Amino acid sequence: MPISFSKLTAMENLEFFQRLYKNTVDVEPLLKRVGLWDDRHKKAGEYSKGMKIRLNFVRALLNNPKMLFLDEPTNGIDPVNGKIMKDMIREFQDQGGTVFLTSHIMSDVDELCDRVAFIVNGKLQEENSPRNLKLKYGKRLVKVEYRENGDVITQEFTMDEIKTPKFFELLKTKDIETLHSGETTLEDIFIKVTGVALHG
Amino acid sequence: MARLGILVKGELDRLKKYNLFTATTVVLLLWVGMTWLLDAKEITAFVPLILLMDSTMMTIVLVGATLFYEKKEHTINSILVTPVREAEYILAKVIVSVINSLITVIALSATVYFLKSVTFNFALVTASVVLITVFHTLLGICFAYFSKNFSSLLVNFMLYVIIIMLPTVLADLGVIGKGIAQFFIILPPDAASIILKAGFETVDLWKVIFGFTYLAALSLALYKYIIKPRFNDYAMRETGV
Repeated sequence: MPISFSKLTAMENLEFFQRLYKNTVDVEPLLKRVGLWDDRHKKAGEYSKGMKIRLNFVRALLNNPKMLFLDEPTNGIDPVNGKIMKDMIREFQDQGGTVFLTSHIMSDVDELCDRVAFIVNGKLQEENSPRNLKLKYGKRLVKVEYRENGDVITQEFTMDEIKTPKFFELLKTKDIETLHSGETTLEDIFIKVTGVALHG
Repeated sequence: MARLGILVKGELDRLKKYNLFTATTVVLLLWVGMTWLLDAKEITAFVPLILLMDSTMMTIVLVGATLFYEKKEHTINSILVTPVREAEYILAKVIVSVINSLITVIALSATVYFLKSVTFNFALVTASVVLITVFHTLLGICFAYFSKNFSSLLVNFMLYVIIIMLPTVLADLGVIGKGIAQFFIILPPDAASIILKAGFETVDLWKVIFGFTYLAALSLALYKYIIKPRFNDYAMRETGV
């Protein structure tokens, strides 16, 4: 949710909030990084939604925090700026910071989070690392697609079966087109966890 | 203390940027113009009324407007996640309202002194205006608590003016007899009117003491029993937080 005094410029907004903290950072590198430095003297009300979100993000970093609470930080932002913000979040994590991220964008969650919690109707439905969740909800198999006599044939192997000669024989002798693991995505897990709880 | 100064400066900057300061300046110029047209005797009767309206009605509207801007833009939440305490936030609003009212007092005092050679008990009038403004700022915050939007705040404000304030004005104009009017002292605008008039004419001492004590007690009660307990709920309402 973009939050700023609309009739104040981005810089005035930042300076107001900055003065309320004892420990602050230089905003210039942050504004340059998120691409707002040239527009710093524009009124926040004239910013696009994406610019307001980036301004929010800079404001969240003003007091050099140890913990960040971010609500859909890349929602409404173009992929280039989204990547910049995700890089900044990762750098914050690498420097020892803790990030609480609330999001429906599961690709962001997958990229940024060490642990994921799904909350349905106020109850913690599932909580684990993205890897463990994928192992729990995914299928431990490998799907192979190959072409034979003009037709596309699909064959599935369990993780135990891929150690067998049958699997290697297939790889050696057939014209393989695709090879997929049965790993699921956090998006599918989200639907499964929240959907079952809501409608099941 | 330093944070309070920053909040007050921020409030004043925003009053300017959101054109609310322009609105209060226009009203002030109107008051000054009207005062300029009056003779010395009329000034003594009229200036307390101007100061009463400015420190009551203008204060409520101004604080209501700033609160609704902050609600609309969700900046109140942003301020509350900084080290700012709710008491500092509210005190900043009160101080800014008092500054606005004092500007009116100074401008009107200078006008009547330099143009009409009229003097009055400046210290008593200033003290009265400060207390009246403090109470009505807190009242404006309460109105904002109980109003869904700025329009409903204006409706509540109009109800306050008609039900609570109008009897005092009618009594001042002689429309309501003194027999009934003496009981109006329990209405905050009447208590406010009495302490303001004390700076311009002789008023029973007990009424002045009662007026100051009553408004101070009401201010404390408003803050302690309504504003403080409901502040966080008010700030977070409708924000999805």
